[in-house]
Amino acid sequence: MTPDTPGNPGPAAGDSSTMTAVESPRAQVLPWLSTLARLVLGGVWIAAGVAKITDLEASVRAVRAYALLPEPIVQIVGPGLPPAEILLGVLLVLGVGVRVSAAISTVLMAAFVVGIASAWVRGLSIDCGCFGSGGALAPGATPTYGWELARDGGLLVLALFLIRWPVGRWALDSVLTRKDPT
Amino acid sequence: MANKKKPVVAARSGPSIAMIIGIVVVVLFAAAVGFGVYRSQAAASGPAAVPANATAEGVPVGQASARATIDIYLDFQCPVCREYEQQSGATIDQMVASGQAKVVYHPIAILDRYSTTQYSSRASAASGCAAAAGVFPQYVKLLYANQPPENGDGLPAAQLVSLGQQAGATGSNFATCVTDTTYKAWTASLTDQSSKAGVNGTPTVKVNGQVVDNTDAALRAAVAAAQ
Repeated sequence: MTPDTPGNPGPAAGDSSTMTAVESPRAQVLPWLSTLARLVLGGVWIAAGVAKITDLEASVRAVRAYALLPEPIVQIVGPGLPPAEILLGVLLVLGVGVRVSAAISTVLMAAFVVGIASAWVRGLSIDCGCFGSGGALAPGATPTYGWELARDGGLLVLALFLIRWPVGRWALDSVLTRKDPT
Repeated sequence: MANKKKPVVAARSGPSIAMIIGIVVVVLFAAAVGFGVYRSQAAASGPAAVPANATAEGVPVGQASARATIDIYLDFQCPVCREYEQQSGATIDQMVASGQAKVVYHPIAILDRYSTTQYSSRASAASGCAAAAGVFPQYVKLLYANQPPENGDGLPAAQLVSLGQQAGATGSNFATCVTDTTYKAWTASLTDQSSKAGVNGTPTVKVNGQVVDNTDAALRAAVAAAQ
């Protein structure tokens, strides 16, 4: 499982994710890339959650519009997603439990990608509902599945990157787990 | 220096079981809170009050015996809905007058985010008041004629009232009904039903349950086929 994550030079040397004493250029850049990935992914989660949390009924309609999940599940996923998204975003931005948060993000993003792709394949005429449209297209608009897939696919790559390299600068994780004398 | 010790550090840098469980539980808890709020909102609104001359499904217009039933899902904030009314309004009126078709209007609210005042919901609730006052068809035309631009403030309640009076809604009941958004829950219920019926945009027009293209020709063909 090594998708297009940048900077993966050949056979990984066992513990490349931990801080090595000698600062190679890569070791200097990687933590900042992790930080950037965290801020982008976390920022999008927060934006998406905040856009939806004030209208949970619209969030239910957005999930229902995909016509994939049975109605009782729709009524759990619809209102459950916005607060979960905000929380994931906050965890990622603060850098708390980055690897676990990234793993959950990966699962969710993969689910979104599958959902959007299936809507496209089935020829549905919906908005992805990612940012609070309730699944309805803007008046007179046509679906933009390609862009939505590219965006969520990119975020999926960021989440995978963070699973592999969760340790970055400006993360509370490094404060919380500072037991080792490095 | 003991390089052999590095793997130990690597193992410790992974998330602990407690961290994994903790994060998963917290995320699930957040989702549960959302679900709880949603359920309590639904319980608080209770069964929706239905306006006179309307049903829980919408506002029927025309003779019940008409062979074709035209379902029109519309949002008063939707410019394409206004264009549809300009295009096919006269056709529909004529079909209703001749007894070929009856119409069920579903004034739903899916475009609340296109105004700062949730105009879609307010206008739909006001149209319920107009139904109760027996002037729904006229009120729909006036709302379209005075449709506010997207991303604006919507029409103020006072104007929703005065348009109703222009449509023929006399008496103070109508004004109170509009300013109190008496039929807000009816609007929410219509919107939820439309979503369950697979309506994901406005205008959506169905003839006897089948979605038809938003052209006059498609509407005429579908209604003719139902005779």
